[in-house]
Amino acid sequence: MELLSILTPMFFTLVTAGTVIGIIFGAIPGMTATMAVAVCLPLTYSLGLENGLALLLGLYVGGISGGLVPAILLNIPGTPSSITTTLDGYPMTQNGEGERALKIGITSSLIGGLFSLAALYLFAPALADFAIKFSYIEKFLIIFFALTVMAALSSSLLVGIFSGFLGIFISLIGAYDISRGGNGELRLVPEFLEYYLESGFSLLPVLIGLFGLATILIEAEQGMKEGQSLSGVKIGGKPFKLSIFKGQFVNLFRSSAIGTFVGILPGVGGSAASILAYSQEKNFSKTPEKFGKGEPAGVIASESANNGLTGGALVPLLSLGIPGDSTTAILIGAFTLQGIQVGPLFIGNNPVTWDAMIIAMLVANIVMFLVMVFAIRHLAKVVTVPKNILFPIILMMCVVGAYTINYGVMFDVWTLLIFGLFGYLAHKIRLEIAPFIIGFILGPSAEIYFVKSLESFGTFSIFFTKSWIAGLLWVLIAISIAFSISVARKKNKTENE
Amino acid sequence: MTGLFKSIAAAAGFAAMVASPVLASAADLPSNIRLVIGSKSTGGDTYQNSAIVAEALAKKLDINVKVDAVGSSEAFKALQRDSRGTTIMIFHDQSYLGNLYGVRGYDDIFDNYVVGPTVAINPGNAYLVAKNSPMQSMEDVIAAAAAGQRVRVAIQAGGVSEIGFSALKNAVKVTHPGAEENIVPVNTGSQADKNQLMFDGQADVINGSVQANEQFTQLDADDQKAMRFIWLTAREETIEQANPEGMGDTTRDELLAFTTPNVSVTLDGSKDFTFDKEFFFLFNKDMDAEQIAAIDTALKEIYAAGDIQKTQKASFFIPNYKPQAEAATYLKAKRDEYRHVIDAISTK
Repeated sequence: MELLSILTPMFFTLVTAGTVIGIIFGAIPGMTATMAVAVCLPLTYSLGLENGLALLLGLYVGGISGGLVPAILLNIPGTPSSITTTLDGYPMTQNGEGERALKIGITSSLIGGLFSLAALYLFAPALADFAIKFSYIEKFLIIFFALTVMAALSSSLLVGIFSGFLGIFISLIGAYDISRGGNGELRLVPEFLEYYLESGFSLLPVLIGLFGLATILIEAEQGMKEGQSLSGVKIGGKPFKLSIFKGQFVNLFRSSAIGTFVGILPGVGGSAASILAYSQEKNFSKTPEKFGKGEPAGVIASESANNGLTGGALVPLLSLGIPGDSTTAILIGAFTLQGIQVGPLFIGNNPVTWDAMIIAMLVANIVMFLVMVFAIRHLAKVVTVPKNILFPIILMMCVVGAYTINYGVMFDVWTLLIFGLFGYLAHKIRLEIAPFIIGFILGPSAEIYFVKSLESFGTFSIFFTKSWIAGLLWVLIAISIAFSISVARKKNKTENE
Repeated sequence: MTGLFKSIAAAAGFAAMVASPVLASAADLPSNIRLVIGSKSTGGDTYQNSAIVAEALAKKLDINVKVDAVGSSEAFKALQRDSRGTTIMIFHDQSYLGNLYGVRGYDDIFDNYVVGPTVAINPGNAYLVAKNSPMQSMEDVIAAAAAGQRVRVAIQAGGVSEIGFSALKNAVKVTHPGAEENIVPVNTGSQADKNQLMFDGQADVINGSVQANEQFTQLDADDQKAMRFIWLTAREETIEQANPEGMGDTTRDELLAFTTPNVSVTLDGSKDFTFDKEFFFLFNKDMDAEQIAAIDTALKEIYAAGDIQKTQKASFFIPNYKPQAEAATYLKAKRDEYRHVIDAISTK
């Protein structure tokens, strides 16, 4: 009965409003679900805990989902976890299938979100107990596993590995973060840039520089006719049918499970979820050569995994008081502002709040699906806007997004420009951007987990002997590497023939 | 024409008269203030306490105060850039401890900023062991180190988390000279990382807090996650000011069992070490003194009204308003006291 008193029209209005605002944040390059939740966090003071959570959870689900729109239509990932969505989503847009790709992405997001919500509701305490079996060593091996996919995402094995290592190298610029157990000392920073690069290059300006600005520079070099739009083909293309998911059950289930699983591991990061899911789908596919050229299975894997993260990341938050990702790290503020302890006893001590959160997540997923499905027809028209109008608008959005990401730091705009130029040059000399950005995102975590493992145990052998989980991860790593080599060999053979 | 000029002059005079308090007020403080904090977390005590103070301040002064959790490095930079009073900062003892420990990015706050009024204490800084650990108390920890056992303590280096570790090491040095080498730090990051090190058996003792770890102390001993408080660094008289119900399922009286004199971590053989984590304002060095005074006066009135104390206590903070001049002197003396502890053991 107490739960019913919370489920007021205001509660549902806030979930809906949060979801819509979240989608808008997610869809603007440089603005993220984390930012949306951070901006609205103080409102929880006046709204109260359950209503406040309704708004924030709506923002969370909407923000993660909205990232697929620019990823598919503009080749700019709205959020870091949408990177792999660009790999097949944007080629689909170029083939005139933007609307279809969006519908596939949204449906996959809904399924991933609902899967993780069910896991959260049914198994949260058990999953949290499993999550704490993952020490620095197992977390390093998961990151390493994700890094092995760099080659699989590249057209050339060696260039992909080189690009990935370059991304890792650049990610290590800055201080060895003391708040993560480092010594606070600067590495790889010229003296005149120490003030700006203390925290290294910010991820989002790098991301939108590489994907957004670089694309514009490449297009600018080719020149554009007045009135020419992004997609040469008429929108609409192949119609969306639910039958596209026929034969995709395993992909949906595996990718949603990977997203949920990565979500329950604090510190691994949401991007790893979609990267792992995408690469696994490619590894298991009978037609891996179609990936990167507009394969719907790629969009399904990426989107079901990044929405699978939403419920997963709430598992350690609500069962251990430990946020699973950057957005739930902000979300925990809603509890502390209300003086509510979040820890292993939270669910048992606060059954009404727990139920209200589950309902809010469920409603947010459904609202997200409905709003986006109805908005798609209009959203997809963005590709018909002439480039000479669209690109300046994208450029402005990139600059605004870069400037706001750290609350107004001008150096982030310079970062956008630097990496825009780098992306343009990388295109010229055929460096691979996807492995580069994966290396850049995962590099700092790989470093900290690797160094901390060695500090704790003092021997490399511990990476092999720590636990059965470590053993299993080595098997997966070996399979992933073997697959990459095998695909590269086949490709070489075909090209030679 | 003369009549018209008179009317205009009268209207202008009236407008000036009406507008003058608004202008005077606006000249004192901007209508939008960004309150940066030295933590990136919105789930931690710095954000929680700053949000309480910001809300009260905004209401009192009828301005907007927005708390931004940007972390110490960005917060200090933002504060240095802005002398107009539109950016102010709240942080805690980390701001000078970071400097004492030589952490990059921590300048001497007493030289580089105006140290403002104190607002609250978080009495929850704690040290914990696994519930099934053979070491059940701080006495056991010190005895184990004295007996030659290596005791691994998970901390975040260079600040509030490390000061208790330094004190423990110092206490072992005082009571069992030479054995302090057996107290070793395991430098890590967030509370989640410290907890994980304990779950993995990679740390014997972890730094934590009453707020973040209390629920873990309620678990059964056979649960891998179960922990036990062994030491709260706060002064006894600080904890005594908390609400009787304490935090979660642990009452104030139960918490007092973990403070001095019930738990002794000696400073010099006669006096116990204590540490209260205090929150205070920091202002740009060139910020208008009248603006600082306006904030100080507003806080004085807020604390005199008494409502904020209830809010702070409900969230397990101990209200601790000290006016700006008094706070600066007090915190400088506190800094000098802890400098001695750090110098004595030189953990770096």
